[in-house]
Amino acid sequence: MDKETLELMTWLIPVGPLLSFFLITLFAKHNKTLSAAIAWAAVFTSLGLGWLVSFNVIGLQVEDMQNGTHELRKNPVVIADSEAWLPFQPEIENWLNMGVAVDPLTAVMLFMVPFAVTMIFIYSVGYHNYGKPNGTHLGTPNHGKQEPLFSRFFAFMSLFAAGMLTLVVADNLLLAFMGWEIMGLCSYLLIGFWYAREYDPDPKNAQKLPPRRASIKAFMTTRAGDVFMLLGIVGFYKLFGTLTFADALSAGSLIAAAGTEYSMYGMTFDGATWMGVLGILIFIGTVGKSAQWPLHVWLPNAMEGPTPVSAVIHAAAMVSAGVYVVIRIFPLLAVGMEASGNVSLIIGGIGAFTALMAATIAVAQDDVKGVLAYSTISQLGFMIAALGIGAYIAAAFHLITHAFFKALLFLGSGSIIHGMEHGAEHVHDHHTDPQDMMNMGGLKDKMPVTFWTFVVGGFALSGFPFVTAGFWSKDEILADAYYQISHGHGVIPLLSTAIFWMLAAAALLTAFYTMRQIALTFFGEPRTPLAEHAHESNGYMIWPLRGLAFFAITAGFVGIPETFPVLGQIFNYNFFHHFVGETIYETMKVLYAEGLVAHDIITLPFQPFPVSISIGVALGGLGLGWLVYGVRPLKEGQADPLVRVLGPIHTFLRNKWYWDEIYSFFIIKPVVWFSEYFVYEVVDRGVIDTILHVVAKVFYAIGQFLKRTEEIVFGDAVDWVKDMFLVMAKEVRILQSGRIQEYAGLTLAFTFLLTLLILYVLPILMQYLQ
Amino acid sequence: MIPLSWYLVVAAALFFLGVYGVLARRNAVAMLMAVELMLNAVNINIVAFWRYVSPEEPLGVAWVLFVLTVAAAEAAVGLALVISVYRSRDSVVAEELDSLKY
Amino acid sequence: MDDLTTENLLLNFLIYFPLLAGFVVLLLPSEEKNLIRRLSLIFSLVPMVPVLMLWFAYDRVDAGMQFQMMMPWFETIGANYHIGVDGVSLAMMLLTAILTPLAILASFNVEERPRVFMFLFLVLQTAMFGLFASLDLIIFFIFWEFGLVPMYFLIKFWGGKDRDYASFKFFIYTMAGSLGLLLSIQVMGLSMGTFDIPELMRLWPNAEPTLPVVGLDTGTVKMLAYFAFLIAFAIKIPVWPFHTWLPDAHTQAPTAGSMILAGVLLKLGAYGFLRLVVPLFPAWAYQTAGLLATLGMLSVVLGGFAAYGQWDFKRLVAYSSINHMGFVVLGIAVYAYVYGYAFANQGMVPGEQLTGDAILATSGAVLQMFNHGLSAAAMFFMVGVIYERAHTRDLKKFGGIWAVMPMFGALLIFASMASLGLPGLNGFVSEFMIVRGVFGAGFLIQIGLSMIGLLMTGAYILKGIGEVLHGPLKPEWKDLTDMTLREHLVMWPLMILILSLGVWPRWLLAIINDTVSHWF
Repeated sequence: MDKETLELMTWLIPVGPLLSFFLITLFAKHNKTLSAAIAWAAVFTSLGLGWLVSFNVIGLQVEDMQNGTHELRKNPVVIADSEAWLPFQPEIENWLNMGVAVDPLTAVMLFMVPFAVTMIFIYSVGYHNYGKPNGTHLGTPNHGKQEPLFSRFFAFMSLFAAGMLTLVVADNLLLAFMGWEIMGLCSYLLIGFWYAREYDPDPKNAQKLPPRRASIKAFMTTRAGDVFMLLGIVGFYKLFGTLTFADALSAGSLIAAAGTEYSMYGMTFDGATWMGVLGILIFIGTVGKSAQWPLHVWLPNAMEGPTPVSAVIHAAAMVSAGVYVVIRIFPLLAVGMEASGNVSLIIGGIGAFTALMAATIAVAQDDVKGVLAYSTISQLGFMIAALGIGAYIAAAFHLITHAFFKALLFLGSGSIIHGMEHGAEHVHDHHTDPQDMMNMGGLKDKMPVTFWTFVVGGFALSGFPFVTAGFWSKDEILADAYYQISHGHGVIPLLSTAIFWMLAAAALLTAFYTMRQIALTFFGEPRTPLAEHAHESNGYMIWPLRGLAFFAITAGFVGIPETFPVLGQIFNYNFFHHFVGETIYETMKVLYAEGLVAHDIITLPFQPFPVSISIGVALGGLGLGWLVYGVRPLKEGQADPLVRVLGPIHTFLRNKWYWDEIYSFFIIKPVVWFSEYFVYEVVDRGVIDTILHVVAKVFYAIGQFLKRTEEIVFGDAVDWVKDMFLVMAKEVRILQSGRIQEYAGLTLAFTFLLTLLILYVLPILMQYLQ
Repeated sequence: MIPLSWYLVVAAALFFLGVYGVLARRNAVAMLMAVELMLNAVNINIVAFWRYVSPEEPLGVAWVLFVLTVAAAEAAVGLALVISVYRSRDSVVAEELDSLKY
Repeated sequence: MDDLTTENLLLNFLIYFPLLAGFVVLLLPSEEKNLIRRLSLIFSLVPMVPVLMLWFAYDRVDAGMQFQMMMPWFETIGANYHIGVDGVSLAMMLLTAILTPLAILASFNVEERPRVFMFLFLVLQTAMFGLFASLDLIIFFIFWEFGLVPMYFLIKFWGGKDRDYASFKFFIYTMAGSLGLLLSIQVMGLSMGTFDIPELMRLWPNAEPTLPVVGLDTGTVKMLAYFAFLIAFAIKIPVWPFHTWLPDAHTQAPTAGSMILAGVLLKLGAYGFLRLVVPLFPAWAYQTAGLLATLGMLSVVLGGFAAYGQWDFKRLVAYSSINHMGFVVLGIAVYAYVYGYAFANQGMVPGEQLTGDAILATSGAVLQMFNHGLSAAAMFFMVGVIYERAHTRDLKKFGGIWAVMPMFGALLIFASMASLGLPGLNGFVSEFMIVRGVFGAGFLIQIGLSMIGLLMTGAYILKGIGEVLHGPLKPEWKDLTDMTLREHLVMWPLMILILSLGVWPRWLLAIINDTVSHWF
């Protein structure tokens, strides 16, 4: 396809959903069928365009592979087109441009995002019971009835998709940030979709935030990261003079910027250190968006949204966006990491800690979506940790595979909940929590499609060896970490050791809680009437599950290392590694030659140790989980065996390490106190207004004093004059008789007098004066 | 030719007749008529002075015409006022119309 | 003045038409309320025509003061009737021309003496147009004070229950600032022999005025004059800690009054900074740029916190104005820093980078003024809509209103997001430019701390939305009706402008940027 068509197509990818948002809100909000049709048309268009563009780029790599050439690497940005957006005099030619660009990294995202989004859109129609009688509760879930705010849901979802696709195709940081924030808004609106929902003050639900609070928590927590990111963006802009990735992050631009010295407030930085600082600032945005510690607290509460929302936010789109942006600016980070080991320590440390911490929490959760939420945080930690040691291809790989299987798992859990809600409708039980795994059990036969696809997703998440996508991507991260233990320098070996073992432990826990979840949900006997009467979801919901399950397995096969025994030889080409690696291959080569980065892109040798660890933790975790929960399934009312084994640690984990309580005590309450009491009551009302009132009172007092003085000193004198005039006036007022003839007579008399005066007196007077 | 002073004497007599009328009559209509007399006395004066002092240009006549016009208008307005006063108070006696008294 | 061009006539027509129209409205019979409203609306729309004509006639290559007109006016003291416009004043005039009709449309429901109400608005429009066009200090001061009076009466007679306190505080506070301004203007005019702003911009920074009678030397005179100017305009913006009149005034003002007060009148202060304070006192501006930036930062941060601490919806929005105008002050600080650079450093010119940052920050500040005008007007109007129905502004009493007023909910969220600075809507563009400019100019601590304020922006906006729209529907609100056509008509122009500026800011920013880069 020629260049212009591809450019146009790239521009149009986010336009469809955006248009869909406006069309639905403006014209179709009263027609549910039309709304869904518009939204579907939009995402299918995006899917078509996205895949066309993506396959065009992938085709170039295939050509390279067949010819043994490296054409793509010389020119990684295949499609680029931009428009001047902000006019900045004095350098008109250096306007801030807004545009789209597609390179291999974008291409793989364009493969994954539209597909996952499309699956979720299809699923949503079934999830909101399309075609059933209309529900009547605005802003609360309508079990078994058609969602009354159906159109609104699709409008928000469309806008969300538009934001994500914008971020993916953006050629500059600002446009990416726009998409990023629009997603933030949509996640707020969608998490709070059931805005009127209120939980009964049941102590079991005491910790549960209602959706409207959860949405605020999500938006504010991510925004805390975003404001740092905004600083990072403006610093980026200042440093490079442009926000376009291809221009700013080219080798020449990076070398030039790294060579410059900056001084501020008396401290001097070299450019490379400064890049590390900016990288960290932008990374803090990612910490918020990708729910890393310490800003991870919003994600579990975000489960209050409808399940398709959870799938979009926590799998395909928003959380991936954070990792995606860090991968985008990776050359900047790489330079910063080489300049200062702290950058690696911060990023890798946060990632590894988050991965392990979230995995431990997931073990003790009972909510079917809660487990997945913490699992998502944990898996994102894997990616971030990989980035911390420079393994950005592994991070990208895990990002893609994770998106597929996590979307699958979320949609699967939605299907489970839907089935349970159906059971709840059937037995008229509205008090039992349909999301609590303790209330499930035995769903295997009642929901076979959901069961099988969920198992596929779960095994991919656990990294079940060789057949699932998750194994290959997770293995690559572990392999990279292991390799860096012996080959890195500075803080890297120590960091890599820590990361390797922490991630291995997290992977073990992952496999364990996945099996726990599968066993509690699907195996054994139904533990409540809800599970007893659950049945398989409708076709809108199970077909997307099948589609995603397909990729949850096959997506891994494009990234099998050539050096891997047997399988490596069969596939013979680590397509993903080469393809995504081309994105910044040349840049990294040049930077490496300049000594600005630690290493360029390398193909790892086969290392038996990390592979065996990776196989071991996956199988070990799954096996352990089966031993605890699968061999002897839980009976109705039986407590989780882990409670007995772990004791107080279980309580600690169940309460999520008490992060919410800590934040509430140390941040939220002080902020509310500061705002309501200190700033408003004390400073504004107290200090400033009191000063104003005192000034006003002083002036008032001066005025009063002057008034009294006047009353005493001048008042009497003036009164006397006034009285005199009054007396005189009383004498004279007889003249004012009201009779016209008296007036006329007086006039005549005075005229006579005046005449006499002028004729006789005045001449004498004049004479005398002369 | 009759000397100028004769005219002046006639005019002065007429004027004081008017003054007497204004001051002495109680009826407002009569007072108005007296005012007309005074105005006409002035007219005689003006015409006489014009004829005897500067007869080249017809300034005096023109002035008199203005005075006559104004007098006519004044009479009309005055009579209208008198009528409206009569309607509201049933009287045209000037002494009784003293609502402007202090 | 020899010959007046068409543009001169247009400019004068623009300034005085609303005043004349106001008197025409006063002549209408008071019981014809609908006629009064409709005619006022039409009259207030008329200035849009000359504004747009001037907008398109403006020569962007020259980008200086254009359509100038100078007539001797008060010759004995050297004051002339000198008016003219540049890109910045045109942008502000456009804002005025947009907001006044919308404010009048928003107050169609005023039943109490609508004739006087509309008259005051039209007078206010004249004052605002006049101020943005005046190029002579005396004329400037006249329009400055002229704008104060109608707003005082609007709050005093159509305000809420504490209107006496609020209007008095508003009036006296601003007057107190104006007093120093007037004295300084007189010192400047008398010592230079002219009140002409372009002349003074040329002469005054290098002049060495003294006050012989009281024995003040040059330095003291300039310092006193500078701080008098500074405080007068800082009160109007308002900058922390001169801000406490604003929440009171806003809370008590009628809806349309708040729209104009936040939409345009606050910009008069910032406009004064751009037009007078910095160009007339470059050396002082340079020295106090850090202070200005710190005050701007404090406005952003403390305004944000204070807004979050409110439970009165309108007061919350009022504090958000302080929060947003703080960004304007931050932008102005960079303008002051770079504009005064050469004056304070013996003619050393600032680097190209620094100039670029200053142009960015200053353009951003002007754009932020425009943007805040739109979004604050929209927010105040939305508060007015719900207040009119529910007769309360207490956030604790609302809840779940989205279910009964879906369109109101959608539009409130839109306006809130514009106020929050969501990318894709207008506020983001200007905030980004300001942050970029301030960051580049090296006020790192100030801009870093002001990010806390940006975070709080999110907190208070979401608090507002959450308390009003979300939650279970309280039974007392179940009969509320959704927005009427008239209310939609007020909001849609604002929303279209907000969106257009967020997506494609060039149409407005280009003309601002041309003028601003001409200043350096």
